[in-house]
Amino acid sequence: MQFEDLGRRALDTAAARGAVYADIRFESVRSERIEVRNAVVASLADSRTVGYGIRALVDGAWGFAASEDLSPAGIDATAARAVTIARASASIARRPVGEPPPVAYTGRFHTPLKRDPQRIPLGDRVALLLEAEKALHSTPSIAVGRAWLDLWNTEKYFFSSIGSAIEQRIVQTGSGIQALAVGEGDVQARTFPGDIGLYKSGGWEIVEEAQLVQNAARIGEEATALLTAPQCPSGTFDIILGGSQMSLQIHESCGHPAELDRVMGWEANFSGTSFLEIDQLGKLKYGSDIVSIVIDNTLPFGMATCGYDDEGTESGLSDIIRDGVLVGYEMSNDTAREIGRKSNACVRAQSWEFVPMIRMCNLNLLPGNVPFEHLFDDVRDGVYMESNRSWSIDDRRLNFQFGCQIAWEIKNGKPGRMLKNPTYGGMTQQFWNACDAIADERSWNAWGTPNCGKGEPMQSGRTTQATSPARFRNIAVGVGYRG
Amino acid sequence: MDKAEREAIARRVLAASNADQTEVIVSASNSALTRFTHGVSNQNVDAIDVNVSVRAIVDGRTGVAATNRTSDADLEELVRRAIDMAPFAPADPLQPALPQGGSVTAPEGAFDEATSRADAFARAQICDSILTEADETGYWCAGYASTARAGVTVANSSGALASFDGTDAQANVKMIAPDSSGFAEFYSTKIGAVNGRDVGRRAAHKARESGAPQSVEPGEWTVILEPPAFGELLLYLVGHFSAQSFDEGSSFCSDGLDRSYFADSVTIHDDYAHPLAPGMPFDFEAQPKERLALVEAGIVRNIVTDSYYAKKLNRANTGHALPAPNAWGPQALNVVVAPGTKSSEELISETTRGLLISRFWYIRTVDQKKTIVTGMTRDGTFLIEHGRITGGVRNLRFNQSIVEALGAVSFSKEQHRTGQYSYSLVVPTAKLERFTFTSTTEF
Repeated sequence: MQFEDLGRRALDTAAARGAVYADIRFESVRSERIEVRNAVVASLADSRTVGYGIRALVDGAWGFAASEDLSPAGIDATAARAVTIARASASIARRPVGEPPPVAYTGRFHTPLKRDPQRIPLGDRVALLLEAEKALHSTPSIAVGRAWLDLWNTEKYFFSSIGSAIEQRIVQTGSGIQALAVGEGDVQARTFPGDIGLYKSGGWEIVEEAQLVQNAARIGEEATALLTAPQCPSGTFDIILGGSQMSLQIHESCGHPAELDRVMGWEANFSGTSFLEIDQLGKLKYGSDIVSIVIDNTLPFGMATCGYDDEGTESGLSDIIRDGVLVGYEMSNDTAREIGRKSNACVRAQSWEFVPMIRMCNLNLLPGNVPFEHLFDDVRDGVYMESNRSWSIDDRRLNFQFGCQIAWEIKNGKPGRMLKNPTYGGMTQQFWNACDAIADERSWNAWGTPNCGKGEPMQSGRTTQATSPARFRNIAVGVGYRG
Repeated sequence: MDKAEREAIARRVLAASNADQTEVIVSASNSALTRFTHGVSNQNVDAIDVNVSVRAIVDGRTGVAATNRTSDADLEELVRRAIDMAPFAPADPLQPALPQGGSVTAPEGAFDEATSRADAFARAQICDSILTEADETGYWCAGYASTARAGVTVANSSGALASFDGTDAQANVKMIAPDSSGFAEFYSTKIGAVNGRDVGRRAAHKARESGAPQSVEPGEWTVILEPPAFGELLLYLVGHFSAQSFDEGSSFCSDGLDRSYFADSVTIHDDYAHPLAPGMPFDFEAQPKERLALVEAGIVRNIVTDSYYAKKLNRANTGHALPAPNAWGPQALNVVVAPGTKSSEELISETTRGLLISRFWYIRTVDQKKTIVTGMTRDGTFLIEHGRITGGVRNLRFNQSIVEALGAVSFSKEQHRTGQYSYSLVVPTAKLERFTFTSTTEF
């Protein structure tokens, strides 16, 4: 392992400078992006970056330094910088905040692949997107067609001064299409799959699962039909949310508020705090009895699936909401210790130059027992919405308003005519307590998000919310167009 | 990495390429940020990186490759990757010649030596000043102090070569009282201008004054948006001035330029040289920038272009390219809203009943064409009655068309820099006569 010697050197340097604990994470990342826009390849890019970040703990305070300089002198200088930064942190601390991780791990993890995307000829990848994009133009109203593909291959090597030595190769793949229809004073977009495409850990099989070409003409037609569809009404309705919109709902109203650093005020000036306060653990009735949400960083195809997080903690499964009650958080070593628990391996960094922090990982709503088609059965007057278009929630994660790309009215148990500009809103706790049916595992899917923002400096995280569609009673609909 | 080193890399890349056209962007940065909360630094980071990106154009087909390795072998491999990819893209008949560049001069104040050398203890001092303010008030707080230096060199086979070095220093904080909070920020190119104690004091004042908040009814209100709030709102309008948005029909002004869309009081420029936010005098194609009027007295005059959209729309290249590959189209990154004639205090004193808003949160577009956005107030929302601030109010959600809101607006004579991300905004306080709130919160 070429990084082992450099890693040992960094840890020795940090210790010699006074660090009581240090770790180093090398990453070699290859990112490929292809995007076709109106028959033109707007992006055909291959980016590679190699570097490392060092964490050092001095007097109960952390410092982090990162560099692309892999020379021995560069390693020494970066380790020294991390220790100096830790000392600066200690100089203003009113109390100690950090301790070394309690457990050292040695291991290896590779994302299971059926077809390595790098082995698919570049010409074939471009051709697939050109074909899908062309098919989006199924009506003259489509002003812009887009088709895209993202491939990420990340190799990580983690070493710590308590003896951790971890090697990982994580492969994540995503693709999608979007049609933009322009009409008289109106613009309507449809995206597929979901609202950002299909993103999972895995290989070319994820692109094949997306079925871009097969669905492109329909997506173009739906975008066009939305231009003349009636406006979604305003009022109180029962609603059914499709899978991808459910993933967004879980992400914003459970995933973020259950991040323990946010609960403890670490994100207060930027991403905000949380209503899931620590004294509510084990008590707060977050949702109805059928709502159970778990962290599962071993989930097949999860975007956050890995063997170990970026603090070197082994991945596992833990409860966040059990039978509607708040029972856990997404945690790091330091935050878990503050509430007398152990980390559940929810720490990630965007890449080598970023400090690891609590990130939403694979946070999933367990499936219910109702076949999807039967969610509609006893809805007399409702709206079925799919594919997110707009999302906003207050900085304690209570008052939310989401909009979708497309909806269908539901009358007497049957989906009916298409509606445009659907929006809905409410307060998180009331909303989840209004959930009275979750579709069963046949419609449960892992919906990945490649670009979740958090932190300062801002980091982009990759996360999955696996879920089925679900039904909610008496929800405020049309809230975005009341003005 | 200094300018000479970046330019040497750029020359090596161009020499290694046999593509019809080649562009190279060399960027180097050292970014450091100290984050604090509850009396401790919870994150304290410093990252050094370099990035070399090559755009190779062969027979109108484009490939882009990037790396952070700079040995001769790495750069030669980089160029080969970009060239090897290009044939897989269909030829684009609109592919323009890369710009030839021109003379550029960095605006005064863009680079500050002290900021470029600032270390973790310099940031700690700013943070400690803010934490001391919190200690003395009994509030808790969260915020950060940051410093950065960044250099960019853009060169191409048409002969363009442009380099820029800039610095940045920032501090912001949210002070949290038992039932209220307050926010303050300060952004500059000079660390010496960042006064942590002043930032902390302003945030604590807001938290104190917005205590015991009362509920107000949603509906149509007159609002006065302080610069962080107005800047956040304006970000959702800036993209509409992109030639790409204009061309595809999704911009509010796609129906035509030289038409009045806003009140006469609205004048907006893209100005890289504004003294409050001096920035890069060229774009990522090395095209020189000039001060560009986007809106004059309510009339939309210009959209921003790059070489591609300049050719496609038969307009001048305004120098607003982003780094290739760019699916977002050209963007205005240095937006400046012209000031009015009254002070912020006068705008308040002339308001019979309204809301003073310090900051917005989580604004998102609800309806692109109509510029309807939703979002929340936070960290200091106040009731104005008969020209006076009479107390804090609980937070509200709005749904509002930005274009409609700017149909009846007046501005303060003071301007401030705001905008934390890749955008830089210089804006006054804005008084919007009609602004629609749709729901409330209990905090």
